[in-house]
Amino acid sequence: MALLEVKDLRTSFRTDDGVVKAVSGVDFALERGQTLGVVGESGSGKSVTFLTLMGLVDPRHAMVSGSVLFDGEEILGAKTSRLREIRGARIGMIFQDPMTSLNPVKRIGWQLEEAVLLHNDVTRSEARKRAVEILKQVEIPRADQRIDDYPHQFSGGMRQRVMIAMALINNPEILIADEPTTALDVTTQAQILRLMKRLQDEFQMAIVMITHDLGVVAELADDVLVMYGGRVVEQASVDDLFAKPEMPYTWGLLGSLPRLNLIAARLEQIPGQPPSLLHPPSGCAFHPRCEFVMDVCRQELPELRPALGDETHRFRCHLDDEARARIWDAKRAKLVTEDVAA
Amino acid sequence: MTHFLIRRIFWAIFLFLVATIITYLIFFVIPADPAALAAGKAPTPQDVARVRHLMHLDLPIYQQYWLFLWNLIRHGSLGHSFVNRQSVRYLVGEDAPVTASLVFGGAVFWLSLSIPVGILSALRPRSLLDRIAMLFVLVGISAHPVWIGLILSYVFGYKLGITPIAGYCNFFPGTPGAQCSGPIQWAYHLILPWITFMVLFAALYVRLIRANVMETMSEDYVRTARAKGAGERRVMVQHVLRNSMLPVVTILGMDIGLALGGAIFTETVFNLPGLGNNLVSAANADDLPLVVGIVVFATLAVIVFNFLVDVAYAFLDPRIRLS
Amino acid sequence: MRRKHMLSLFMLVMGVALLVAATTVAVATSATSHTATAAKASAKRGGVLRVNQSGTDFDTVDPGLAYVTNDWALLYTTQVLLVNYPEKNGQAGGQLYPEGATSFPIVSNNGKTYTFHIRPGLKFSDGTPVTAAAWQRAWERNLSPKMGSPMGVNDQFQKVIVGAEAFNNGKASRISGISAHGLTLVFHLTKPNPTFTSYLAMQWFGAVKPNMPYTTQGLNVYPSAGPYYIASREPNRTTVLKRNPYYHGSRPANPDQIVITSNTDVNQSLLQVKAGQADLDMGGVPSTAAASLGQQYGVNKGRFHVGSTSCVDYLLLNTVRAPTNNVAVRKALNWGIDRPALLRILGKYAGQRSDQILVPGVPGYRPYKIYAWSGANVAKAKAVGGSALKSAGTFNVLHTPTPARTAQAQVVEYNLQKLGLKYNDVPTPGTTYYNTLETKGTSYNIARAGWCADYFDPFDYINVLLDGRSIQQTNNVDMAYLNSPALNKQMDQAAALSGRARANAYAKLDLEVMQKYAPWVPFMIDNTRYLTSSRVSNWVYSTYFGEPDLNALAVG
Repeated sequence: MALLEVKDLRTSFRTDDGVVKAVSGVDFALERGQTLGVVGESGSGKSVTFLTLMGLVDPRHAMVSGSVLFDGEEILGAKTSRLREIRGARIGMIFQDPMTSLNPVKRIGWQLEEAVLLHNDVTRSEARKRAVEILKQVEIPRADQRIDDYPHQFSGGMRQRVMIAMALINNPEILIADEPTTALDVTTQAQILRLMKRLQDEFQMAIVMITHDLGVVAELADDVLVMYGGRVVEQASVDDLFAKPEMPYTWGLLGSLPRLNLIAARLEQIPGQPPSLLHPPSGCAFHPRCEFVMDVCRQELPELRPALGDETHRFRCHLDDEARARIWDAKRAKLVTEDVAA
Repeated sequence: MTHFLIRRIFWAIFLFLVATIITYLIFFVIPADPAALAAGKAPTPQDVARVRHLMHLDLPIYQQYWLFLWNLIRHGSLGHSFVNRQSVRYLVGEDAPVTASLVFGGAVFWLSLSIPVGILSALRPRSLLDRIAMLFVLVGISAHPVWIGLILSYVFGYKLGITPIAGYCNFFPGTPGAQCSGPIQWAYHLILPWITFMVLFAALYVRLIRANVMETMSEDYVRTARAKGAGERRVMVQHVLRNSMLPVVTILGMDIGLALGGAIFTETVFNLPGLGNNLVSAANADDLPLVVGIVVFATLAVIVFNFLVDVAYAFLDPRIRLS
Repeated sequence: MRRKHMLSLFMLVMGVALLVAATTVAVATSATSHTATAAKASAKRGGVLRVNQSGTDFDTVDPGLAYVTNDWALLYTTQVLLVNYPEKNGQAGGQLYPEGATSFPIVSNNGKTYTFHIRPGLKFSDGTPVTAAAWQRAWERNLSPKMGSPMGVNDQFQKVIVGAEAFNNGKASRISGISAHGLTLVFHLTKPNPTFTSYLAMQWFGAVKPNMPYTTQGLNVYPSAGPYYIASREPNRTTVLKRNPYYHGSRPANPDQIVITSNTDVNQSLLQVKAGQADLDMGGVPSTAAASLGQQYGVNKGRFHVGSTSCVDYLLLNTVRAPTNNVAVRKALNWGIDRPALLRILGKYAGQRSDQILVPGVPGYRPYKIYAWSGANVAKAKAVGGSALKSAGTFNVLHTPTPARTAQAQVVEYNLQKLGLKYNDVPTPGTTYYNTLETKGTSYNIARAGWCADYFDPFDYINVLLDGRSIQQTNNVDMAYLNSPALNKQMDQAAALSGRARANAYAKLDLEVMQKYAPWVPFMIDNTRYLTSSRVSNWVYSTYFGEPDLNALAVG
C-alpha cells in the first residue's frame, strides 16, 4: 500500500467573480522514501493540490472532493483535530518564501519548540534540546546561540534551513516542499537541495518537490507529475520523462530548459498564457497554445493514457503515438542532449 | 537604538520650534490689538503704549518670540494670559488633566470596543456582526462629535436624566466648593463625553484592526503555523494578534494629535474645562500667551507621545529593536 | 462701559420686560410683580446657588483690575462700597445709598473736597475691622503702576484726585489727595466734579484690607467686607462664594454658598437649568429659545425673567464722512430705518425700542419718540432728507460677520435701498471691528455699536460719547466723530450742575442732540433674558449690571 494515495482530487474556490477550478481531477500515489517531483506553471494547480491534501484551504470558500488516503486513512474531509495531529508531525510542509514564512516577532527557537510541543508531551527544555539538534542537522552554525535569534537575523538560505528544520523536527513521513528554492540564489539553491537529499536518507522520508524548475526535478526526483490547468498531463519516472516526453506541453517545458553546453541555441518559449481557471478552455486545456492542435482537442478532454510499452508513464494528448514520436524526434534533433551528470 | 533615540529627540525639538513659531506668526497677522483691549475704556495713546510696554508688545516679533523661548527654557514659564493675567503654566496645568481624562479614558473605551469587534469582524467577514460593525463604522466616521454629543446629552442627560447633562468633576476630592468630586463622580460625568469622543476613533480602529487582522491571517507565517498543526485559537493568539496590533500602536501615536483636536468639540459640548475648551475661548479673546501655551503643551504632548509610541513599537518589533 | 465685543452672547440683553408700554415707568411698574424689596435678609436663607456663566469667565476678581460687567456683578456681592446700589427691582435699584459711609459725602471747598464718615462695626471676612484706610488702599491699587490696572492707565481717573497722577507715574509712594484717619476719609479733587460720588459706586472702589498687596496677576482669594467672600477660584472653571460670617449689614445674603461655573455652553446650560442641574445662567438664554420660554413659563411670572439694562444699541453715523456728514441725511436715516425689524432679529424679548441716547434709570431720562417708531417711514425720510439725500453717495455699512449683525446690516441696507440710496456691505471681523471704528479717518458710514453705563449718570452717555474734544488718532470713544463747539459748551454746562438741575439739563440735551445733530440711529435698549430653576425665589434684578443680584436669590 502506498503511503499516500490520491484519487480524483478536485478543488474549486468560490470567488466574487465565479467558481475557480484550481484542481480538476488529480490522481497519484507516493511510496515511502520516494521523491515525487511536481512540475507546472503558476496556476497549474500544483500547490493547491497539496494544500488541499493538508487541509490548509479555506473551508468557507473551497469545494473539495475526491479521496486522499494517508497510510490507509482517509484524510480528505477528516475532522480538523485529526488533520492537526498529522500536520507538522507526520506530514511536514515547507513553502516558497522563507522571508515571510516565519513569524517575524518570535524567536526561531520558540517557533521550533512550538512545532515540538504541539505534538509531543515534553517539557519546554526538552523541546529546546530537540530544536538545537535539528538546527545542527540542517547545518546552521552555532546553533545553540542562533536558536535565540529572530528570523530577520538570518539570511535567506539560512531561513529556508530553519523552515526545513521546523518541518522535520517531528520526524515526518512525508515532506512536502512547495518551491523551496525558488526565492534563493543558485548557489544556495544547490546547497539546500543537497541538504534535502541528505536528510531524506537520514530521516527515511518521502519528499514531494513542487517546482517549476525542471533542473531541480532532474536532480532530486524519482518520479515526476507534470500539471497543467489543474490536471496531471503527464506522469513518469524522471528518466523516462527526460528521455521520452510524450505530450506537447512537456516538450515545451523541456525545450525551454536552459542548457549550459549549448552554443547559440535559442530558448524555446511556450507561446501564450496559462489558462484561466475561472473560464477554462473547452476540451484540452493546452489547446490554445499547442502548435499541433486539432479540432478534437478543442472539444474533448484527452484521457490520461499510458505510453506505448510503459504502464507507469501516462499522458494526456489526442495526438496518436506515431505523430508524437515523429514530432519528438524532430525536436530532439534540435537539442544537444548530453548526460546531465550531477 | 541610541542613534534612533537621539535622532528622534532632535526632530522633536525642531518640530516644537516650528509649531510655536507658526502660532506666533499667526497672531501677528491678526490685526487685533490686545494692548488696546486691556487698556480699558477710552485710553489715550499713551495709556495704550504703557500697557503695550507692560505686555512687551512693543518689541519686534522675533524679540518677543525669543523672550518667550527664554522664559520657557530658563524659568519654565509660559507668560501670563492677556485676559485674566494668570500664569499660563498654571492654567495649562489645570486644564491638562481634564483633557487627559477625556482622551486617555476615551482611548481605553475605544480600544476595548474596537479590538474585539475588529477581530471578530475579520474572522467572520460578511456575517451579520461584520455588517453591523461596518455600519457603525460608517456612522462613527460621518457623524460629527458635536452632533453626537448634543444628541447623547439631550437624550440621556436631559430627557432620561440618567447622566449629567454637562460638567466636570475632579478626580481627587477636596476642591473647596466643588459641586462634586471623587473618582465615581469623575467617571459618571465623563461617561457621555467618553462615548462621544470615542465613536470616531472606535470606528476608525475597527476598520483598521479588521483590515490588519484579515491581512495578517493571510500571511505566509500563519500558513506555516497551521502547517505545523496549530489550532485556530493558537494561530490567532500567538501569531496573528501581536503582528496585526503593531500598526495599531503606530497609528495611536498619529492619532493623539487628532484626538487633541477632537477633544475640543467634546469638551465644548460637555463643558469640560480642558485644553480644547480653553483654546477656543483664548483664541476668541486674542489671548496670545494662553493660545501659545496650549499649543506648546499640545505639541509637546504629541511629540512625547509619538516618541513613546515609537519606542514601544521598536520594543515590540524585534526587526527594529535589533537593527 | 463698552461691552466686550466678542461676548455679545453674554451681554446679550434680550427680551422685553414690558410688552405693553415703551416707557420706563411701565418697566418699573411691571417689574413690581416681583415686589422684592429685599432690604432685610429674608427667612429663605440657606442652600447652594449653582450658577453657570456661559461663554466666558471672570477676567479677574481683583477689584484693582476688574473692568468687565460680569466681574463687577460678582464683586457687588462681595464688596462694601462707600455708596452703592440697593438690591431692589426697577428704578429703585438705580438709586445710590450710602453703604460703607454713614451718609452721602460732605462736599466743601467749592466742590473739591469730599469728606466721608465710615460706618462703624464693618468687618472683613477674616474678622479684621474696616476703616477709612480700606478705601484709600482701593484707590492706590487702582492707580499703582505696580498693578497695571485698566482704570489706572486711564487718563480720566488719574487726574481726578490731587496727587493721583504723580502716584500713577511712580513719582510718589502715596496719593497725596486722599487722607484716611480712623473712620474719616477725605478726597481732595483737582477740580470740581459732580460725578465723583457716582464714581465711588463702581466696583473698583470697594473696601480692601490696607495690606492687600499689589500684583499684576490679580488676587483670586482675599478677605472682603461684603455679604460674601471669595472662598476659592479656579480660573476658567469654578468660583465659589461663601457667606461672610462677619457681615451684619442689611444687604441680603441668602444662599450659604454661590458656586459659579464658567465657560459653559449656553445651550447645554439651558437644559441644565430646565432639568434642575443648575439654577441660573449668567449668560442668559439662547436667543432662539426666548420665544418658547416665554410661552412656557410666561414672562416675569416665576422662572423666565426679562429685564431691562442700561445698555443702548444704536447705529453709529460717521458725521465727518459723506454722505453721513450731512445732518439732513442723518435725520432722514432716523426716519427711514426700520427699528422694529432690527429688534426682531435678536429674538423675542430682546429689547425695547428707543430713538434716544439715554436709558431708563439714568437721571434726565424722559422717554420720547421723535423719529420713526413702528417701522420705516420712507416718505417722511425723503421729505426730511431733501436734496442732500437725493444726491447722496454710497454708504459704507460695517458689521461683524455673526449671523445677527449680518442680518441687522441687511435690514439697514434694505431700508437704504427703499430710499433710493447706494451702499457697500462691509463685513469686518470682530477682532478689528472696533479698532476700525475707533481710528480717526475711518471710512465707515453706518455701523452698529452699543454702550452700557459705568455709572448711572447721563455724563457717562452724552459727554463721554459725543464730546468731540476727546477725539484722538486711535481708540476713540466718540465714534460718530461729532465735534460741535456749541454742543460741547452745552455739555460742559450740564456737567457742572447737580441734582434736579442736572437731570433737567441732560433731559434737554438728550432730546436736542437727536433733534439737531442726529449722530446716531438709536434703536434699542437691551433686555436681559434669564431662566431660573424651580428652586429659585426672590428674584432681584439690577438693570445696572444687567444681572440678578446673586446674594438676594434664594434657594433655601
